[in-house]
Amino acid sequence: MDWPAFLPLFLTAAVEWVEAFTIVLAVSLTIGWGASLGAAAAGLGTLAVLTALTGGALSLGLDLHAIQFVIGVFLLLFGVRWLAKAIARQAGLKALHDEDMEFRETQAKIGKGDWFAAWLVAYKGTLLEGLEVWLIVVAFSLHSHAWVFNGFAALAALAVVFASGLAIRAPLRRVPENAIKFVVGAMIVSFGTFWTLEALAGAVWPLGDWSLLALSAFFMAAGQALVPVMRARPRRLTA
Amino acid sequence: MKAFVKTLFGDTANIAGVALIVAVAAVLTGIGHPTWAVVAMPLTAVAVICWLVRH
Repeated sequence: MDWPAFLPLFLTAAVEWVEAFTIVLAVSLTIGWGASLGAAAAGLGTLAVLTALTGGALSLGLDLHAIQFVIGVFLLLFGVRWLAKAIARQAGLKALHDEDMEFRETQAKIGKGDWFAAWLVAYKGTLLEGLEVWLIVVAFSLHSHAWVFNGFAALAALAVVFASGLAIRAPLRRVPENAIKFVVGAMIVSFGTFWTLEALAGAVWPLGDWSLLALSAFFMAAGQALVPVMRARPRRLTA
Repeated sequence: MKAFVKTLFGDTANIAGVALIVAVAAVLTGIGHPTWAVVAMPLTAVAVICWLVRH
């Protein structure tokens, strides 16, 4: 069991699955639900194979500090990007992610293609959105070895999102994606900062694992403080 | 492949920013002041995030 990882894992996965569902929904209007969900299942299958291969390769006795360093850096790459994007959107510097627009763009993309091209869009969409979920599952599992539990957290998010989406048969536009990205981004940067420094310098964090809570609070507070500062310095709005 | 790489690593600005965060931690640890990195690393991360927001 890796309960500290459950919330960031579940929320990260939920955000990514919402985006994947929008693509699958748009494709389903062209090739039908069966084929579209089949493509999504193929994408998920690829991710499952990727997770199993990664888990196998990384359990071959590699140095724990080296693994922790690599994972810490990956979490920083991922978390810093999410937090910056969420702050930019909250400050009005970047357009909010629009599931309706994503839906229309996907429909336009597959409008002129054939059946297989549409199937590939659903497969690739699920795979690419799921890559970030894979990264987070691997990152947290390497530390705790709770591969099954962490995989379950990602699958629970998948079940919630796809069940909700299939019930309403429309893009899940009411999910507060930016707020989730902000919180998760801050948590992931905290984990990345903590693990990277611990891998480099050993147990230097003054509160041990509790430092993660302090780091999360710090990054959330700093992020919120940056929003009005960034808003006061407007620049051209980008998508 | 390009989409795959960008999903995993982000753009060049993202990679450069994270390289700076890690470099700060590595240098402070290397010169024998790892406890300074406890403060400097989160502050550098915030500076990088600030820069990425404007980027």
